[in-house]
Amino acid sequence: MNYAMALDYQNCINCKACEVACKEENGVQLGADKQRIWIGVVEGTIFGKPFANLYPSQCNHCIDAPCVNVCPTNASHFAEGGIVKVYAEKCILCKGCMEACPYDARFVDDTMVAVDKCTFCDHRIGEMGTTACQATCPTKVRTFGDLDDENSDLVKLLKTKRFFFQKEASGTLPKLFYILPDDLAYAKQSVSANTIIHTWEDIKPVYDAARSRRSKEWKR
Amino acid sequence: MKVEISRRRFLQGSVALSVVGGTTLSATNILANAKNKSQNALMKKVPTVCEMCVNKCAAIAQVRNGIVTKLDPNPYFPKSRNMLCARGAAGIHALYDPDRLKYPLIRTGERGDGKYRRATWDEAYAFIEDKLTKILDEEKDNRSCIGYCAGEGMAEHTFKSFMADKFGSANFLNHSSICLQTAVSGFTLTIGGYGQADLENAKYVIMAGANRAEAILTPDTMDLFKRTRGRGTKLVVVDPRFTNTAMHADTYVAIKPGTDLAFVLALTYVALIDQVYNRAYVAKNFVDFDKYKKHIIESEYTPEWAEKITGVSADTICKIAHDFMAAAPQAVYYQGRRTTWSKNDFQLRRAMALFTALGGGIDVKGGIVFGKSLPLGEHTINAPMYAQAKPRIDRDLAAIVGATGTWVGWRNMVAEGKSPYPIRGMFVYKQNPMLSVPNTAKTKQMFEKMDLVVVIDTMPSDTAMMADVILPECTYLEREDPVRMFPGIEPAIVLREKVIEPMYETKPVIEIMHGLAVKLTKPLWEITKKYDDDVKDELEATPEDEFFEDGGFNLAEPFEHTQEELNKHMFVSKHGEEAWTLLREKGVYYPNMMTYFKKINNNTYECYPKDKKFYSVLKLEEKYDPETFLHDTCVNPADIADLKRSFNTPNKKVECYLGSLEAKGVDAMPKWRDEDYVTVPAGKFKFITGRHAQFTQNSTMNNIMLLELMRENYIWINDKEAEKLGIGFGDTVEVTSKVGQVHIKAYPTPKIVPGAVFYIHGFGAKSEGLTFAHRNGASDNEIIEDTIEPVHGCANMHDTLVSLRRV
Repeated sequence: MNYAMALDYQNCINCKACEVACKEENGVQLGADKQRIWIGVVEGTIFGKPFANLYPSQCNHCIDAPCVNVCPTNASHFAEGGIVKVYAEKCILCKGCMEACPYDARFVDDTMVAVDKCTFCDHRIGEMGTTACQATCPTKVRTFGDLDDENSDLVKLLKTKRFFFQKEASGTLPKLFYILPDDLAYAKQSVSANTIIHTWEDIKPVYDAARSRRSKEWKR
Repeated sequence: MKVEISRRRFLQGSVALSVVGGTTLSATNILANAKNKSQNALMKKVPTVCEMCVNKCAAIAQVRNGIVTKLDPNPYFPKSRNMLCARGAAGIHALYDPDRLKYPLIRTGERGDGKYRRATWDEAYAFIEDKLTKILDEEKDNRSCIGYCAGEGMAEHTFKSFMADKFGSANFLNHSSICLQTAVSGFTLTIGGYGQADLENAKYVIMAGANRAEAILTPDTMDLFKRTRGRGTKLVVVDPRFTNTAMHADTYVAIKPGTDLAFVLALTYVALIDQVYNRAYVAKNFVDFDKYKKHIIESEYTPEWAEKITGVSADTICKIAHDFMAAAPQAVYYQGRRTTWSKNDFQLRRAMALFTALGGGIDVKGGIVFGKSLPLGEHTINAPMYAQAKPRIDRDLAAIVGATGTWVGWRNMVAEGKSPYPIRGMFVYKQNPMLSVPNTAKTKQMFEKMDLVVVIDTMPSDTAMMADVILPECTYLEREDPVRMFPGIEPAIVLREKVIEPMYETKPVIEIMHGLAVKLTKPLWEITKKYDDDVKDELEATPEDEFFEDGGFNLAEPFEHTQEELNKHMFVSKHGEEAWTLLREKGVYYPNMMTYFKKINNNTYECYPKDKKFYSVLKLEEKYDPETFLHDTCVNPADIADLKRSFNTPNKKVECYLGSLEAKGVDAMPKWRDEDYVTVPAGKFKFITGRHAQFTQNSTMNNIMLLELMRENYIWINDKEAEKLGIGFGDTVEVTSKVGQVHIKAYPTPKIVPGAVFYIHGFGAKSEGLTFAHRNGASDNEIIEDTIEPVHGCANMHDTLVSLRRV
């Protein structure tokens, strides 16, 4: 198992169903800075005409997760399937992981007195087959799945589309795959010129190699 | 499905329980296995229907130890497309809202000051009985002296059948005249129905004013945004604001508010003059087409003319008209729902329907379709006749005032003392006119004139603060509601089951009506006997007991069965016992559901196979039965439908000219009238209102989970104009109209056209009972003027001018 998620971000309508479903499913503490999942908004004008791009996002569950690397107590760890999680009882709130994360995907949960983050809903994927954010989404932005399984919805999708990562340059091998829109005009509007566009063929060997290097640490 | 099993068993075999997984292991198997397991951590899943907005998405509630812990989408319901939006997922916080109305309350202070005492149900009923008998005695049994209004919902009819059929008042109001009445009526009188835009197959969609990304409508929102940007649908968004819908458009057209009719008329002009409309379809299915063509062309509704009015360039109009007709008949000028905008709204909707019809996109796949219904049984109510009850007061305020009235017109008559007979009281169910009807000051004035105001609600809304008696209803997760059928391309029946028992002392409305009816029957019967000459005559010939029962004067009679019993009766009489079991287990039913329903992947479920969907249904024969046609293999119904349709209009065709309305002073054909358009003088702004995806009008305003997403509303103002006025982001602005004044924070943005300002509806509550919603931002209806349009008396929501001042 190597869990990951693809996001057809051009479907997003910023309704925030995913944010609420996540909070209800996982009992996330209320408060503006307490987000396991969020929708990034970039807006502005081009020659006076308004535009807006939406980037739904959450923890990337990086293969080379810097938050796991820096954790002094091993509270941050890889759970089954490479899901990055936190042992609340081991967390000493040094916040090193929050500093290390390129995606700002972690926050302090005051009720647990520990750092909290997305878990890919690992408590419910056995029963429901997917995460709360994917299940609830009106326009079906997300596809959660197993990168190891060639027949999973996820890999089938990645084989047919091109995709990119957020902040790939951080070198953490993130696992949120942003699907490049087929519409070139919108692709240009929503993807930076420096962003590297990938295909399944080029990314698979890189991710496979990293997986075999780090998966020894994954809990089973 | 209601399944109780232990947590351990659940974890072991949880896949089997999964409704989403569509597995074959039945609930009874699981129950059998679970029998001997420990009973702590009881887990059950109950299908329900969301009530956080009007869409009624099917949901599955997870309950642990009697507490609702999660709401998940129910994939069996085709209309909701296996999703639950932010509001739907936050439904738990409507149930566990700490500010909920928990007990019946009786007012102890002045109206509006929020001072109430806790009462028992019996005390509350007795209070109402006391006041009501006094009022009806004074009004000589004129039942219509008590008005009543209801918000949209599955149990709206239960309340209405008590007030209209049993109590006997004619003065009913609901959301229609502050909502989509002109749209529904404009489309229905033109093409025979409001229909459903088939956005799963449309190739070209003009969405003007409608905002499907933020005003979520199932299945339209779900279908549309998976097909934009080169994936099947060309989307043109016409709006004074760059909305989240506009963000997805291939073409965004910024338009001046109130000028949509000129835009559509110019599109029509181009289609007619360039002869790009669907001539075969028009020849077969239109009536009075020549009159319409002549009218449009002779009125010279040219793109250049429209450019001056709308601010949309003539080139853009020409291109859109041509592109639309090139994609037709899979091209839709989207109906929209929303509210009436301005005086010409009815004509606007007619022009929109006619433009879509010119392309042939009515009753075809990818156009506006009517779909199919599924039958449901009925239960009859024995409604008594009251000779003294007078007709509704607002009949003459517009050309056609229907049974749902004109909220603004009716309210003004009462507030201004212009009613032909006194309106002494009001019963309010699940509606909040203090925030939802334009000109709040007048709504308050209306309530202050009344001797008895009863509010049935779940929350202490601003309107509840106007009540003498507040009766607490339980939320949708604590009650079973009337079973409901949704017609369409994929028709289905859904059932809202009770998830947990009602909390506190709350009750479902059917029980409230029963309690009230039991209390009121005898004393009201005495008043009727005293004043009603017809009844007096009857009683001379018939024994009282017999006439009382036969005449339907026992008000409690329709509410004596439980909702479960009524539902079973309504459903089983048409679909049988086996289907009933399935409906209760899945929460959804349609014929062949278990063979049709298929999971494609985690995001996609197929409810009806492609060839079993109901697109084209209006056929040659007027009295045709879709069942026989669709199942007769010798006839291809699509071929017949293509020949000639039978629209549900007086002429059985698309109606260009409505002569019957002309007699009532309404233009028979859509016509632009300069005098109806509110121009914006220098220094003023046109105020427009709207919605977004995180709140439903004002009904979810105290929901703490949703307030996380948006704490208060801001006024949108064009950034260049804001700069001139020295208004920056977050500055407090005083907004003044003819009828009111509010303070609200500013959001200068290029996303709104100059000359218009906007803020979202549903904020600015003043009730101190709403801890979280109290005074967040401003309420739009405090400043919207109370004018109505001439056809149905609907509120003009976009005809108010305001001035701004930084404070």
